Amino acid sequence: MAGIALIRGLALSVLIGTMPAHADVAEAVRDVILPAYDDLARTTGSLAAAAQQDCSATHLREPFQQTWDVWARIDFLRLGPVETNGRALAISFWPDPKSSGRRAQQALIDAGAPTINDPVAFSDLSVALRGLSGLERLIYLSDITGADDVLCRLRRATATDLAAMATEIRAEWAAYGALLVQPGSDGNSTFLSAGEARQALYTQLVTGLEHLADTRLGRPLGTFAKPRPERAEAIAALRSLRNVALSLQGMQDLATALLPDTPETQAAFARALRLAEGLDDPVLAGVAEPSGRLKVEILQQAVDTAQETLATEIGGALGLSVGFNAKDGD
Amino acid sequence: MKQIIFPLVASLLCATAPNAQTADATPETVAAHYADIALAAYGDSLTTAEALKAAVDALLAAPSAETLTAAKAAWTAARAPYQQTEAYRFGNPIVDDWEGRVNAWPLDEGLIDYVAEGTPSAEDNELAQLNVIANPTLELSGKSLDAATITPDLISGELHEAGGIEANVASGYHAIEFLLWGQDLNGTEAGAGARPPTDFLQGEGCTGGNCDRRAQYLVAATDLLIADLQEMVANWEEGGAAREAVTADPKAGLNAMLTGLGSLSYGEQAGERMKLGLMLNDPEEEHDCFSDQTHLSHYYDGLGIQNVYLGQYTRTDGSKMTGPSISQLVAAADAAVDQDLRGQLDASMAALTALRDKAEGGMAYDQMLAPGNSEGEATIMAAVDALVAQTKGIERAVAALKLNAIAFEGSDSLDNPNAVFQ
Repeated sequence: MAGIALIRGLALSVLIGTMPAHADVAEAVRDVILPAYDDLARTTGSLAAAAQQDCSATHLREPFQQTWDVWARIDFLRLGPVETNGRALAISFWPDPKSSGRRAQQALIDAGAPTINDPVAFSDLSVALRGLSGLERLIYLSDITGADDVLCRLRRATATDLAAMATEIRAEWAAYGALLVQPGSDGNSTFLSAGEARQALYTQLVTGLEHLADTRLGRPLGTFAKPRPERAEAIAALRSLRNVALSLQGMQDLATALLPDTPETQAAFARALRLAEGLDDPVLAGVAEPSGRLKVEILQQAVDTAQETLATEIGGALGLSVGFNAKDGD
Repeated sequence: MKQIIFPLVASLLCATAPNAQTADATPETVAAHYADIALAAYGDSLTTAEALKAAVDALLAAPSAETLTAAKAAWTAARAPYQQTEAYRFGNPIVDDWEGRVNAWPLDEGLIDYVAEGTPSAEDNELAQLNVIANPTLELSGKSLDAATITPDLISGELHEAGGIEANVASGYHAIEFLLWGQDLNGTEAGAGARPPTDFLQGEGCTGGNCDRRAQYLVAATDLLIADLQEMVANWEEGGAAREAVTADPKAGLNAMLTGLGSLSYGEQAGERMKLGLMLNDPEEEHDCFSDQTHLSHYYDGLGIQNVYLGQYTRTDGSKMTGPSISQLVAAADAAVDQDLRGQLDASMAALTALRDKAEGGMAYDQMLAPGNSEGEATIMAAVDALVAQTKGIERAVAALKLNAIAFEGSDSLDNPNAVFQ
């Protein structure tokens, strides 16, 4: 298995230099996706090392923030190795309307479960208690309670699990990337044509922008009569708006790699980013009062516009429609 | 090229395709037959809901273990045709906009009736403990609401999705399921909800309190389900809005049909309803969490998808409908794509059948979700993987029928929607 992965990895690096026909997808993989997962493996590794050295909450906050910065750029990509074993869900589980993560995490602490010390068993636990969302509850203000030494071990286990997932994702992308850049090759039933490979990446962009507008911004916006600022993402870590901006950057990078000459898409991304970066409202608390709400709504509309522009310009140019995806359904 | 070989390929395939009684599959005939199956399946959903109402009436007239069991059996029977209609949901806005009234989940059941202490609810749901059955006057969004009589209008107009929160499910199959079964407090251990029949006993011996209002709620919710199903049946009758929507422009109709199949297969069924619950090991994420009938819901969802593709449906009375199918159109455009997809649909049904049989054999769906139950996990994941694989096949069918461009062009701008099939 490892041998196959290695051969595929070599094939990928050869292909990337020699396949102009699929240069768009190859560039997206080489210039955007693989570096993002390299960064994720590196930052989660630093986070896990920091937790081994000193598992106090304050010591972990900086490497935690750096890790989430990296993940926020690529978390829209729900394709390939992140989908295996629910890894994307395990890396950051949100939204969690029934507090599944908090309940499972507290139950684990209360039981003093030995799985906390067993990385293999830990990786089999509920995705909602693991990852960045789980760690956020352990190093910022939350209603999780427990003895210091248990919380310490749980922080270590969570960070170690994150690093292991990131390493696996990056390793498996060697083979998965080869499938994307070699559509229609022998044994590749995942992508039969360049169109299917392009459609897969394009679908991620459209659904990623949709998720950003409808969920990351839409959940806290609620309705005018009933705004829901408490529904914003990663409030304790003060990351709600930061995740929006970084996700926009990550999607812009992938869109550019997929089809560079797209002035309208670039302008739409730039406008949304400018609005996000100009918004002085880190946890989107402003949705609860009219002027702050208006600003978040304007940002949401700009994200919607970016999605429509991208669909017209890139989808139109490449003759693509949105494929079925994990966000279908309700 | 395709225009020339189409009649030949179609006639060759008709010799082997499972439902090949017709050589006249065109977008028009396929769309019309699709609407006919919808009418039949919603019609079956309605008649089985009426049978549920009769069983509910019998339960309330004489609450006992027998009448409660009979009402539960009627609920289970009513779900079989309904779940097969879910393949109609995502492609048809008329269905999707309506669906939340009849099949919304998961629910914060404390809105409706008493629940155990510590019952999890949506984080921001102030109404999760509203308990309509115990309270003739309700405080909703800062105003006082007279709920002295629980009526279908009260449920649909005031209670369903109260406060704009989706978890406030006051109507539909799962609200009725909760009233019949009660909460399943066994977590991922064996056992479903165990509401005693005395919860419906009028006068002395009533358990759980407010048995009169509980009976009122059950009747009102069942009547409301019937009314909602009547509305959807009418939508698929001759001249109905949903039928018009898919037959007016058959190519857009085909797109709607395949959108429904792909969205249900992957994002909804494989993802939200199956994989997520498994990844969370959380029975709160189980589709039919009170009754432990989730395996049947998943099975009939899968069957509904296969039905739509093959243009077939077995009615509640056992009669079988067959006719012009999407499968035949795809086969004419690209025989390999059709063959692959039919194989993938068969594989999904094999996996969903194994899941159903394992649950019927004693390992309930919520037990399969338990951490460390590798046998349960493998059974669910086999179905998830098969559904994901068939989604790819559905995507290729969309491409084979050249429906890809439709999202950009919009159905109105297609001057000659049938050109590709002629």
